[in-house]
Amino acid sequence: MSVRVKLPPILREPSGGVGAPEVAGRTAGECPESLEKRFPGFKEVLFDRQGNLLRIFGIYLNADGLRPIELDIKLRDGDEIVISNFLMGG
Amino acid sequence: MSSYNGKLIRLNLTTGKSQVEEIPQAWLKDFLGGRGLGVKYLYEELKPGVEPLSADNKVIMMMGPLGATTAMSVSRMALVTKSPLTGAVSKSIMGGSFGAFLKFAGYDGIIVEGESAKPVYLHINKEGIHLLDAAELWGLDTQQTHDKLREKHGKATQVACIGPAGENLVRYAVIISNLRCGGRTGVGTVLGAKKIKAFAVNSSGPLSLHDADGFKKLTKEIIEGLRTSPGRIKMSDFGTSFLTLGFEKVGIFPVKNFQEGHLEGVEKIGDEAMAEIKTKNDGCYGCMAKCGQVREVSGGTYDGATSEGPDYETIWSLGGNLANTDIGSLIAADSLCDKLGMDTVSTGNSIGFAYELFQRGIITKEDTDGLELNWGNHDSMIKLLPKIANREGFGKLLGEGTKRAAAHIGKGAEDYAIQIKGLELPAYEPRAVKGYGLILATSNIGASHMYGRPRDELAGKKDKLTEVDKGQDAASAEMSQATQDSVIQCAFSPVTGFNAQQRSELLVMATGFKEFGDPAYVEKVGERTLCLERCFNVREGFNRKDDTLPKRMRTEPLQNAGPATGQVFKNLDGLLDEYYDALGYTRNGIPSAEKLNQLGLGDVVKDIEKLTK
Repeated sequence: MSVRVKLPPILREPSGGVGAPEVAGRTAGECPESLEKRFPGFKEVLFDRQGNLLRIFGIYLNADGLRPIELDIKLRDGDEIVISNFLMGG
Repeated sequence: MSSYNGKLIRLNLTTGKSQVEEIPQAWLKDFLGGRGLGVKYLYEELKPGVEPLSADNKVIMMMGPLGATTAMSVSRMALVTKSPLTGAVSKSIMGGSFGAFLKFAGYDGIIVEGESAKPVYLHINKEGIHLLDAAELWGLDTQQTHDKLREKHGKATQVACIGPAGENLVRYAVIISNLRCGGRTGVGTVLGAKKIKAFAVNSSGPLSLHDADGFKKLTKEIIEGLRTSPGRIKMSDFGTSFLTLGFEKVGIFPVKNFQEGHLEGVEKIGDEAMAEIKTKNDGCYGCMAKCGQVREVSGGTYDGATSEGPDYETIWSLGGNLANTDIGSLIAADSLCDKLGMDTVSTGNSIGFAYELFQRGIITKEDTDGLELNWGNHDSMIKLLPKIANREGFGKLLGEGTKRAAAHIGKGAEDYAIQIKGLELPAYEPRAVKGYGLILATSNIGASHMYGRPRDELAGKKDKLTEVDKGQDAASAEMSQATQDSVIQCAFSPVTGFNAQQRSELLVMATGFKEFGDPAYVEKVGERTLCLERCFNVREGFNRKDDTLPKRMRTEPLQNAGPATGQVFKNLDGLLDEYYDALGYTRNGIPSAEKLNQLGLGDVVKDIEKLTK
């Protein structure tokens, strides 16, 4: 399954400036694995030390979801994953 | 018709008299309301050199033009005074519902001046404005004060009050309204010195608006957008607690009084842990986000402790900053600070300062009333809180804030007082996010996290660690924050849901002032406000030398802080030059006559020229 992953600016450093890489993934959870293979160190930025997605990020499917999606959600060919970050300060 | 009442209450506590007066329309147009209008009154009415805890100081409590309307997150209240912690101008924004009901009662603000001989409180209802005896309230905590006033004046009474910390002149005392607080820099202290315990109001809405139908239509559209806004949902679900793990990972979250950037076991006080003990949401008048997270501890030492919070700042100040990962103690401490009426940021920072002095042997158990101030010791932290509020033993010294406490202790303690202009730093490590460091250094109220945010840096659009080309961003962030604080809109933009254009449309439909229809005009209010705050400080003797960072940030490499490890803040001088240039200030940090005239502050030129010649 080939999907495009739109990255926020903060994740474009580990992706070497690529803003919307195309990766393989049957589920949303497989996309970060593919990104890690392509851009080593990518997961280090996205997940906490326990391997959970940092909540400063949200992963959305086709930008139309009310809520962030679960990582085990199945993807279809051509889907677009959007990763948003919420580092606004508090 | 207009959302402005155009009137305020001037309360003179020395005479015990209050009067209602008109707010000059030209001031409303130039300063909008809230912080801007508060600063205008303060500049005009306070003579230079006034002692902050004397009868000559004033507290200006001011609503914004959108307050008490149906727009989202705009019913907060600005508090402006001269700070007893810094000697500089002070502004803070208080949430809750008190301000909205003050507007329903027919007033846009209150100016508190003078000093009462005995404790009093102000009650406002349709019968009038009454200054009443507060003997039975004095000594009560903020929750008890709310309860007592509601018992007396009815359940719907809206209250804003100080706690024991304000009464006892702890220099960082705050005002509490419901479970929301305002007053970093010691607004509660100034009210305590004036012996006014509380403000209570009974009233009901709605307000009359210039174009009520148009306003309702646009607000409805904005609310529809907010229903599905990921940022709003994130705030509703977690409040700002979701920032903790992300910031800790990149070295922004300071640990052990800013000695390092890594907290072992941080996940124990992270968003997931906080969500597990959440019982409900709470928030300000007219806000659908309700970002306040009410949490309750079950089991352990702090069984049954409940609090609205802690937010990111308090998770840091009473948690990470003390290397404390005990979530129960955090809830208990947050609740205690609210009840005692103390700013959690300055409280936690002051305690962290004491822990570091203890670590270095500068103070011992003989100085701390026998308390062991070891990192992670939450028992001592909890015991220190009432000591600070009641100014008992070692707590009396900590209640002075880190700058004064360090000067008193000596022995090099000044190096560990992490403050700017006398105000303790918040939960941002300047060495890990340099643009934020510049804002903390230049903020006219001292090291506040509510004086502007470098959004491009935080979002990763700009490198956090470089020390060039950040002056303009810092200036823009501060001007934008000043505009928001004058409107007044919540500092968390995902919660308000409107952009600058929609904000202008709302302002015109609410007030009828056509000038507000131009977003650039509205933004200019922020620049004018920021500049007038700077002029207030210049009049008090502040200049470039005060726009600085603690010695630690300028000389010690940051330890154990992920990508920010080894960072030192080396080029503050270069960034200050950029910042002053961006704002039209001289290289000594003083607004130029040309800039003052450009902003319509020509009357101030003579004050500044007199001082700088």
